[in-house]
Amino acid sequence: MSKIEINHLTVDYTEKKKSFTALKDVSFSIEEGEFVSVIGSSGCGKSTLLSILEGINTPTDGEILINGEKIKGTGTDRGVVFQHYSLFPWMTARKNVAFGIKQVNHSASRSERYKIADEFLDKVGLEQFKNKYPSQLSGGMQQRVAIARALAMDTDILLMDEPFGAIDAKNRTILQELLLELWENATPRKTVVFVTHDIDESILLSDKIVMMTANPGRVYRELKVPFERPRNRAELVQTKEYNKFRNHLLSLFYSDIADKIGGEEVVL
Amino acid sequence: MNIPANTIQAVKADTKIHSELKTEFLKRYFRVVHGLFAVLLLIQFLPDKLTTETYVSYVIWFAVGVEIFTLILSGFIKKTASLNLFTDIVGFIYGLLIAWTLATAKFNLLKAALFPPPGKVFWQFISDYDKILVNIQSSVGIILQGYLLALAVAIPLGLFLGWSARLGSAATYISKFLGAIPPIVYIPYGIALLPTFRSVSVFVIFLATFWPVLAGTMSGVMNVEKKTIDSAKVLNVGKFTMMFSVILPASLQQIFIGCNQGLTVSFVLLTSAEMIGAQSGLGYYIKNYSDFGDYTRTIVGLIVVGIVIVIISFIFNSIQKYLLRWKQ
Ligand SMILES: Nc1ncnc2c1ncn2[C@@H]1O[C@H](COP(=O)(O)OP(=O)(O)OP(=O)(O)O)[C@@H](O)[C@H]1O
Ligand SMILES: [Mg+2]
Repeated sequence: MSKIEINHLTVDYTEKKKSFTALKDVSFSIEEGEFVSVIGSSGCGKSTLLSILEGINTPTDGEILINGEKIKGTGTDRGVVFQHYSLFPWMTARKNVAFGIKQVNHSASRSERYKIADEFLDKVGLEQFKNKYPSQLSGGMQQRVAIARALAMDTDILLMDEPFGAIDAKNRTILQELLLELWENATPRKTVVFVTHDIDESILLSDKIVMMTANPGRVYRELKVPFERPRNRAELVQTKEYNKFRNHLLSLFYSDIADKIGGEEVVL
Repeated sequence: MNIPANTIQAVKADTKIHSELKTEFLKRYFRVVHGLFAVLLLIQFLPDKLTTETYVSYVIWFAVGVEIFTLILSGFIKKTASLNLFTDIVGFIYGLLIAWTLATAKFNLLKAALFPPPGKVFWQFISDYDKILVNIQSSVGIILQGYLLALAVAIPLGLFLGWSARLGSAATYISKFLGAIPPIVYIPYGIALLPTFRSVSVFVIFLATFWPVLAGTMSGVMNVEKKTIDSAKVLNVGKFTMMFSVILPASLQQIFIGCNQGLTVSFVLLTSAEMIGAQSGLGYYIKNYSDFGDYTRTIVGLIVVGIVIVIISFIFNSIQKYLLRWKQ
């Protein structure tokens, strides 16, 4: 049994009696401890897929099973980083993280929660900003607080929607390494679903890449990433295999778009 | 003689610092407000045209007291904007007193029975001091009771109604309808149903505050961003935490808008409510003496009401500023 099974998932959005199919018959599964990246062009339904996994949205058809049980709403087994940073503006960075910890760990005292929060804020490089409110932080900093919160909650499953999208290149590299390190050293390993636009990021981080295509959102390809761990970024990107794999992904990515354009030409 | 270059520089820097300190000092202490003080003081020595006692010394003592207070405080206020605000207010008081002194005591332009000179008002204030204190206590007590009771009921109820999608929209219309009725019309019903006049006043303040706070809370809750609610949901918060740690702070700004409205209406109503049948309170004090044609005491009452309102509003604003400090 897989950790997460996505079965024939269809999601329609209805607005003013018009229905739009964001996801159509999406199926794939994720093993326990697996790191899976979801890539695809903008609007192909990546965030929609995650919203179902998070339990804040319900599918029109199909289902998702976690540990063999159908998802019904949100759960403490999943930590979430939204695409659009989602801190509580009335709490400082530290309180935001500690609030998340409190929801999964009721027995920890306030000082214990603050200690864990500080530890994770240090890890994402925000030690000097613990007592700042979100309105006093940049977008990328707010996203790092949200990442710290999700990591500090120490859940079985991590659902991350373009978590590094708004973060500068240097911090992005640091955070990628941090995420890999935390994931590789945890026993048992966490199951991660990671949405990204960045092909290099997906190769560096994941065991499996799910490529999606738009209109309607479907799974286009599933690919295993054939590189040993631990991966060294600097060495890996220089290897022939890496570039071959990367080009393969890129050609798939563009052939999907080419298919679409070709298809439309036939229609015209 | 050879003076080293760095000494010259040091001396130059020193004079520069010196002149900066001087302009800083001038900016702080040489202000229009002090000129107004001088004018106010000087006109007191003009001959009185009013034949009755004008209590000039009371105005002089008041002005000197305020001026000393202003000079001391000017040394402590750091921000230029705050200092400007403070001296503007003091300047306004001086200006008002100048006009008032001239129009009454000095030139007798107004009807003396209706417009007593400022000195007489100060004198009256001091001789009525303990009576006024008792009335302030009574009025503030009623306001606080009615107001806090209304907040304690309206905020939780508003959170609940706003959160329940179905009741929320119906409740919005109902509260708009009931809130539009001026609470003063409830007074006869209050008198008929409630045991004491004091409880009627509390009841009227309660109603005056209840509707705007309820409406503000509900609209706050209904306008909480979906993003905020979703992030609380994925953290799996319980119902109680959702309500009081997420929805409540997220709607706080709108709640405060309702609270502010309630406070304004409460002030207006308190004096009118007390004017109807109370035996104490500032409204009673004003009404009672204006009925007897004692306009000096009426004006004293009006000024005291104004001061009480300013102080309560100041405290209220400080609380609001503190609780909303996370908004940039
Ligand atoms: N609440 C909604 N109501 C109606 N349509 C929606 C809603 N949310 C998303 N959609 C539509 O569903 C499609 C998929 O949106 P989604 O946000 O899942 O895309 P995405 O793959 O995450 O895109 P991006 O990479 O830009 O974040 C889009 O066409 C979008 O317009
Ligand atoms: Mg998205």
